Amino acid sequence: MDGNIIRDGKMPPLWHYGHEEHDVISAKTFGFWLYMLSDALLFAGLFAAYAVLDHAMNMAGGPVEAQVVHPIAATWQTLAVLSSVFAYSLATVALKRGSRAGLIAGMAVAIVLGAVFIGLELADFASLVHTGATPDTSGFLSAFFVLIASHGLHMAFGLLWMLVMLVQVLRFGLSTAVVAQLLNLRLFWQFQASVWVCVYVFVYLKGTI
Amino acid sequence: MAAHHSDPVLHPEVQQASFTGYTVGFVMSLLLLLAALLLTEQHALPPLKLLGAISALAMVALFAQCFLFFGLNIALHNIWKSVSLVLTVPLFILTIGLTVWMFHQLADLTMLPGMQVMPGMPGMTMQPTLLQ
Repeated sequence: MDGNIIRDGKMPPLWHYGHEEHDVISAKTFGFWLYMLSDALLFAGLFAAYAVLDHAMNMAGGPVEAQVVHPIAATWQTLAVLSSVFAYSLATVALKRGSRAGLIAGMAVAIVLGAVFIGLELADFASLVHTGATPDTSGFLSAFFVLIASHGLHMAFGLLWMLVMLVQVLRFGLSTAVVAQLLNLRLFWQFQASVWVCVYVFVYLKGTI
Repeated sequence: MAAHHSDPVLHPEVQQASFTGYTVGFVMSLLLLLAALLLTEQHALPPLKLLGAISALAMVALFAQCFLFFGLNIALHNIWKSVSLVLTVPLFILTIGLTVWMFHQLADLTMLPGMQVMPGMPGMTMQPTLLQ
């Protein structure tokens, strides 16, 4: 920072035009980090609602927690989401080396595994609905579906973003804008793994205790 | 802050990617969650202790992800990420902890004994009566 340098014997204005370029990547990744924290607070609200509504009073004659959650099935989802995050993380290791082929390969694997996750989740929802456990059955099931589906929607939008980035990498190469987006997407995707840790432990595992 | 106009790949945010870090983070997350699954499936502990144990495992996994995935540390380049997370943690605690505590206190204080559904009896209200 050279904001205090006196030029031509005059003090510089408080801000001056034509200042050195911003560090675009740092600014964008920090901004996205702050967005991610606000997104985490959204999930905190959903977890709070779930914890409150997961009470015998809110079952409304519908199925209880232990009948809705299937930890073993959810373990396959855990495997899918963690592997997908790992694959995308490795893609950014390839990016670090400047290897576009490695980046694209990692993203492709991450997309497939993310799609597997969403497929498993949709199958789980379908079987729940089939047994009559629909979101409108009870307050508990409403909270359950909203929480799980919020995470699922994040995953779906992450996949969409990944497909967009695949096209951008192929069309524009590793420009500053593309690299900044790739880093933000890594943060977004890794964040889904963190949310899933909470979903898996505090919904699926806790449900069978 | 150094500017990297020439090649975005040389930016420290890109260069902080670490094969070892991501691998360890992935394996740790997986093992911790599988350990939690094993404890739960075998009902290795009484319910309250079991909940405490799997919560602790989840917390360790989240911590590992913070350091190994998000690359949080106190280096100059990352300090504001760490600081903003630390400042957000009390909001998580308030949002979840205080809400749950408050509602469970309320339920215990206000529910008439006769109206209370017996907790810990899964299967009692098994059939979704309205939908059959």
